[in-house]
Amino acid sequence: MATRITISKIEDVEFGANLPAFEPDTSLAIVKTFATLIGWDGARFRDHEAARKEGLAGAMVPGVLSQGYLVAMIHQWAPVAEIKTIDTVFRAPVIADEPHFITGVVTDINEDEGLVEIDLTVANEKGETRVFGTASVSLPA
Amino acid sequence: MILDLHTHSVKSDDGRAKVENYCQWIRSKNLPIDGLVLTEHRQYDMDSDYSKLASKFDLIILKASEVETEYGHVLVYGVSPDLTRAFDFASINLPLEMVVETSSQHGAVAVPCHPGRKRVGMFAHTEELGVPKGVRIVEIYNGGSRDNEDQIAITNAKEFGYLGIGGSDSHIVSHVGRCGTKFANKISDMNDLVEALRSEEFEAVSFKN
Repeated sequence: MATRITISKIEDVEFGANLPAFEPDTSLAIVKTFATLIGWDGARFRDHEAARKEGLAGAMVPGVLSQGYLVAMIHQWAPVAEIKTIDTVFRAPVIADEPHFITGVVTDINEDEGLVEIDLTVANEKGETRVFGTASVSLPA
Repeated sequence: MILDLHTHSVKSDDGRAKVENYCQWIRSKNLPIDGLVLTEHRQYDMDSDYSKLASKFDLIILKASEVETEYGHVLVYGVSPDLTRAFDFASINLPLEMVVETSSQHGAVAVPCHPGRKRVGMFAHTEELGVPKGVRIVEIYNGGSRDNEDQIAITNAKEFGYLGIGGSDSHIVSHVGRCGTKFANKISDMNDLVEALRSEEFEAVSFKN
């Protein structure tokens, strides 16, 4: 079984380093379950056909779930990281049942304050950005 | 030389990139660009001085604007204090022809950006509003384009005889340099850039794939 290398100290972080690639589960079943969990009963989160009638390309992943994927990705890379802020800009809907890929890269390191800035991008199979943002995470020295 | 003619920093409401981090990124990743132009949304950033950063990283860092018209978004290069008083940069519904003409009168160049995009791109409106007068250049490569937006821009630019520039439209550090514009001559400041755009000696380039 492959061992995943994780980050536990800020000294281990390098500017420009890529976080391990992350492919979120955007299946409609997961999206429906999550929508139920948070009390969002809109058809656009549950049914492709109903979403298309609303002008969408299909049922969409709620933005808060996309943010959850980003958090999961960061913790997969650095389980001890404390996420201080996560700031997202939603450019286009993330459509359920379509493969998406999340990339993350380190774009700033402040060792004095123990903070690392990460760029995050959710893209579809065509490489088109659907969601982007940044996270500021705290790591121990 | 190649400049990324369309970038946003934290000065834009949806920008998340610090200019210093753009510079670090360009150099650490050996991106094939020689500099960038900050085109902040609905404003001209009079205050920021990036000359020390430019010198430290040996990059060209220039400032411009992205304003909003009834035809969509428009980049304005060569903004002067007089031009910022000539129309309201913060407006979201400026008349495009006025922006193009007024910019020209003040020694600036206005370039509709991501023109193939729905709602905020010029070609989404030409059928309804007609072909605007005065436009000479449009952005044909945009780093944030989806679907066939770049192709719509290229096809229409060809049809209407527009020249094309490229810019990444980056809002986060790692998206800078996805597209750019190649110039035959060296660009050192905004005057050089405006002159180069007017002389029509440039070519849009894409590094997306």
